[in-house]
Amino acid sequence: MITQVRNSWRTIFMVAKMTLRQNVMDLFIIFTVLVQPMLIAILALAMLRDKGQEYILFVVVGSGMTGIWSSLLFISGNSINVERWSGTLESLVGMPTSLSVIVFGKNLANVGQSLLSMVVAYTLAVVIFDYDLTFNQPILFIISLLLTIIAFISFGLVIAPVFVMNPSVQRWQNAMEFPIYILCGFLFPIAMLPQWTTPISYLLTPYWAARALHGTSAGNAPLSQTLFAWGMMVFFSVIYFSIAARLFKFMLVKARTDATLDME
Amino acid sequence: MKSAIEINQLKRVFKVSIGVMRRSFKEVVAIDDISFEVKEGELFGLLGPNGAGKTTTIKVLATLLIPTSGSAAIQGYDVVKQAQEVRKIIGFIFGGERGLYWRLSGIDNLRYFGTLYNVHPDVMKTRIPYLLDLVGLAGRGNERVGGYSRGMKQRLHVARTLLHDPEILFLDEPTIGLDPVGAREFRQVIRDLQAENKTILLTTHYMFEADALCQRIAVINHGRIVALDTPEGLKRHVRDLSVIEVEMYGMGQELIDRIRQEPFVDAVAVENRDQRQVLLVQSLRGAEAVPDLMAALEGVKVGRVIVREPTLEDAYVRLVGGEV
Repeated sequence: MITQVRNSWRTIFMVAKMTLRQNVMDLFIIFTVLVQPMLIAILALAMLRDKGQEYILFVVVGSGMTGIWSSLLFISGNSINVERWSGTLESLVGMPTSLSVIVFGKNLANVGQSLLSMVVAYTLAVVIFDYDLTFNQPILFIISLLLTIIAFISFGLVIAPVFVMNPSVQRWQNAMEFPIYILCGFLFPIAMLPQWTTPISYLLTPYWAARALHGTSAGNAPLSQTLFAWGMMVFFSVIYFSIAARLFKFMLVKARTDATLDME
Repeated sequence: MKSAIEINQLKRVFKVSIGVMRRSFKEVVAIDDISFEVKEGELFGLLGPNGAGKTTTIKVLATLLIPTSGSAAIQGYDVVKQAQEVRKIIGFIFGGERGLYWRLSGIDNLRYFGTLYNVHPDVMKTRIPYLLDLVGLAGRGNERVGGYSRGMKQRLHVARTLLHDPEILFLDEPTIGLDPVGAREFRQVIRDLQAENKTILLTTHYMFEADALCQRIAVINHGRIVALDTPEGLKRHVRDLSVIEVEMYGMGQELIDRIRQEPFVDAVAVENRDQRQVLLVQSLRGAEAVPDLMAALEGVKVGRVIVREPTLEDAYVRLVGGEV
């Protein structure tokens, strides 16, 4: 059992390492992780420069989250399909390591690298817009960030097999990017939205991640609120992991039945 | 000797969609009720024309396809119900360049796949240089795979397959795309692997390769096994026949079909050799059939004519009805 767990973690870190090595040469990924969040941050910082320091920090964290979500949607969402297009999926499925462990490692790399979006937004605000930004609850913020990584990985493990099994859903990928920015309160609080959208936000784990990160960066959220957001992230992560386990099993049986592991 | 691979009444049907606006589906039988077994340590060949069902068979054995009916077991493990156990003891190569990470170096590819095969990092430290040397890529391992030639990629596939030292190997047209020297070296690698008592299931289009390497050969056509024997046994299928080779220019399918109908003809195949086409006619009448053949070819530009003894390739041609 211990050996199995150790092997799984070794595999996850190796997959993440090799995924990062490949990603640094991929212009689409560089655009998604660095350029797009940078453009969003510049626009938002320019538009909101008269607002207070606290709101600027909200924008920095929010722009970073747009990068994390875009990376998850486009890179992690396509992680299995990319393997199929490049002809490596058959090799991966034919190995003793579970495909879900491999995709976990890929998602770890994708979500991890997308944290650069936040660094970019922060650097822009400090260097170009000359703000003096400090994170008010740094330890709680780091814990929130770690839970955000796990929550996003779990979400990525659900959407990747869904995109493989339903190409028609994947066609809506572009349309799924901005509604999540808005519904999850990345760049402005969801209180500004019509009330009927709130229950939808509550069902989305990125909303709880945004709430924890915004609250701990600004330092204005009571601990109970942060703890509740963490709890919801853990709760949704457990649900997503369990859905993902079933989806992977179903997807692999379907792919081996329909002969769709390879594109040739 | 124990069976390493057992296939029992295996069948695999694909659904193929037809049409764009009004889509309908038709069923294509890729393998149709095949049964055979491969002994431990045996080098077994699977021969057949394109679309005969060779790759489908290997993909079922490699746990990448679920059969429609029938069963297959590797060292007693069912390929559907015990796929994880099967994956630990097999290695496979499908011909071609795909299946590698082109942005990574050769060594990084091997480290990556080695980890997925649960090979311990300490073992990989010695295993990877050994395998790179074995496949002739020593000194090139740090280069990105995207810059490799087709042959180098193929050789890296071989190294990848051997990383976890599998007991059973599935090699699907492994020498395709290799230059003659590379292919010869690779055949030596296969012989060396067999000397280590590995069980190998090989598909190839090259008869001389099958003749030189395989202990037994199954000829598969339209998803069915039409013969299973040693290379010598298969040659006996055509022992009484002679082969008439006729060099021709601009031969059409209609002419080939017409020759096939002639009463003295047993089987017909066409080979392209450089700029020429060569008509291969198998006949029980040997040289006596040449005048009748020439009469049937009247009006067609004909070059050199040779009558020779049959080879394994001729046996194969006869078994698959000239579909090469």
